[in-house]
Amino acid sequence: MSTVNVSNLNKIFNKGQTNQVDALVDVSLSVEQGEFVSLIGPSGCGKSTLLRLIANLLEPTSGDVVVAGKSAKQARLDQDYGMAFQQAGLFDWRTVSKNIELPLELKGWDKTKREARAKEMLDLVKLPEFSGHFPWQLSGGMQQRVAIARALAAHPPLLLMDEPFGALDEMTREHMQAELLSICAKTGTTVVFVTHSIPEAVYLSNRVVVMSPRPGRITKIVDVKLDGQRNESTRERPEFFAAITSVREALRAGGGHAHAGAGVEDR
Amino acid sequence: MSPLAQRIVRRSSMFVVALLFVAALWELYKVVGPEDGGALLGINILPRSNDRAMPHIWDMLSRYNRPELRSSERKIWRVVLAGAWFSFRLSLVGFAIGTTVGVLLATLMARFKVVERGLLPYLVVSQTVPLIALAPLVVSWGGKLEVFGYEWPRWLSASVLGAFLAFFPVAVGTLRGLSSANHASLELMDSYAASWTQTLFRLRFPSAIPFMVPAFKLAASASVIGVVVAEISTGLKGGIGRLIIEYAREATGDPAKVFTAVFGAALLGLAMAGLVAAFDLYVMRNRPKEAT
Ligand SMILES: Nc1ncnc2c1ncn2[C@@H]1O[C@H](COP(=O)(O)OP(=O)(O)OP(=O)(O)O)[C@@H](O)[C@H]1O
Ligand SMILES: [Mg+2]
Repeated sequence: MSTVNVSNLNKIFNKGQTNQVDALVDVSLSVEQGEFVSLIGPSGCGKSTLLRLIANLLEPTSGDVVVAGKSAKQARLDQDYGMAFQQAGLFDWRTVSKNIELPLELKGWDKTKREARAKEMLDLVKLPEFSGHFPWQLSGGMQQRVAIARALAAHPPLLLMDEPFGALDEMTREHMQAELLSICAKTGTTVVFVTHSIPEAVYLSNRVVVMSPRPGRITKIVDVKLDGQRNESTRERPEFFAAITSVREALRAGGGHAHAGAGVEDR
Repeated sequence: MSPLAQRIVRRSSMFVVALLFVAALWELYKVVGPEDGGALLGINILPRSNDRAMPHIWDMLSRYNRPELRSSERKIWRVVLAGAWFSFRLSLVGFAIGTTVGVLLATLMARFKVVERGLLPYLVVSQTVPLIALAPLVVSWGGKLEVFGYEWPRWLSASVLGAFLAFFPVAVGTLRGLSSANHASLELMDSYAASWTQTLFRLRFPSAIPFMVPAFKLAASASVIGVVVAEISTGLKGGIGRLIIEYAREATGDPAKVFTAVFGAALLGLAMAGLVAAFDLYVMRNRPKEAT
């Protein structure tokens, strides 16, 4: 059974008005359990919109979203997914540990269980000594790790991430990518990941979904044939470059005009 | 020294310097200002600088150490302090009622847009009603009230007037604060399927705190003004307001006397502001410090 199943999805903002936007047109995608899928495409092609539809933070104009075998709404109510955004979005007034406990609190877990889980998550993201710190006392990369810990705290089967490493420097970013992969391998979490970076998408994913704008749609899905453990040497393998090339070509082909692929980083 | 102690020391020394500065200005004006007032650019605005209108600072201070009346033994500083303490308690009650009502109204308005649209204009209008006109009314209503077998005490009317002025900044500030929670955080709470109350207490109120603290500061001084004006206009005994009108009547014979009471009122305002400042330090202790 696939963890996410999106079929014939359409999303039109401001329908019937002069500022109507066809954000997504006839999008179908299914993500298998344990799979890592990236969404890539130029700015405005509807990546965030697709992620929000899966998260049930938006209602589709038409089409179906099934998450963990349920309607998207039921999945949200059951907290079947965790979410992380470009900005860590931690609450300033809560300690790191309390931030991670937030989703558990809302689920009604008792205090001891919550604290034990927060500690476990902090070990996972390698920040055990920072549980009592406040978010603003942490570096950007550390904050992002806390946000990931929070997203994973309830052990959701699905993780939705919208450019979570966008604000980080290149070194931290590569480090975080490796950590994310190892966390997902440990927990068996399924991930849908939005990014602007082709190498990031290829390095992380089993499949890279290439999208194009106006109207937003899926133009190609690239299978990344890098099996097994990924590490630093992965970035030098021929399969890695092959996948990068096919994603880039798909991005070029997708738009059909000179600016196709604008806003996508080629590093 | 800890940064907090440093801040407190710096703030209080600034305060003392400011006081000395005002005192110096006062005395300077007494030297250069016209004895019987005067006109500036044809308008009669320069105050009189004679000792009856503007007593010397040292006369005011030494007045504290003399008895209130020639017939009594009680030094005036005791009387003023007791009056300030009385009014302080009334203001505190008014502040508590006002902030509670203000926060509740703001929450209601944040929850239901209809309430905001319907209520907010009336709240604004309520603040234009002159307090002097309202005070005797509230006192006379209060006199007829009996709550759960208790008779409505007269002092409570003064507190209610304080609350009437205090609730407004709190309602407006809190409403702003409650809607200041950022979009991403709200979406996060949504993604957790959090209920409105859960979002209120875990996100909206904490985000509102930086807006509520300044509102509380306004409310603190508003409640003092409300109480003192109510005391003056209804003649309620025991508070600093009453002392001010009584002493003002003696201004011709004993001009320094009314100033002792006026400073008492200022002290009262300071005490309220101090309370709010302490609250501020407490609730903001774990927030990022802005560079000062
Ligand atoms: N709430 C909204 N109301 C109206 N239009 C919207 C709304 N959200 C998104 N859109 C429009 O939908 C389109 C897709 O937006 P979306 O945010 O999904 O793009 P994106 O692929 O995530 O872009 P980026 O890479 O810049 O984040 C854009 O044209 C945007 O203007
Ligand atoms: Mg986006």
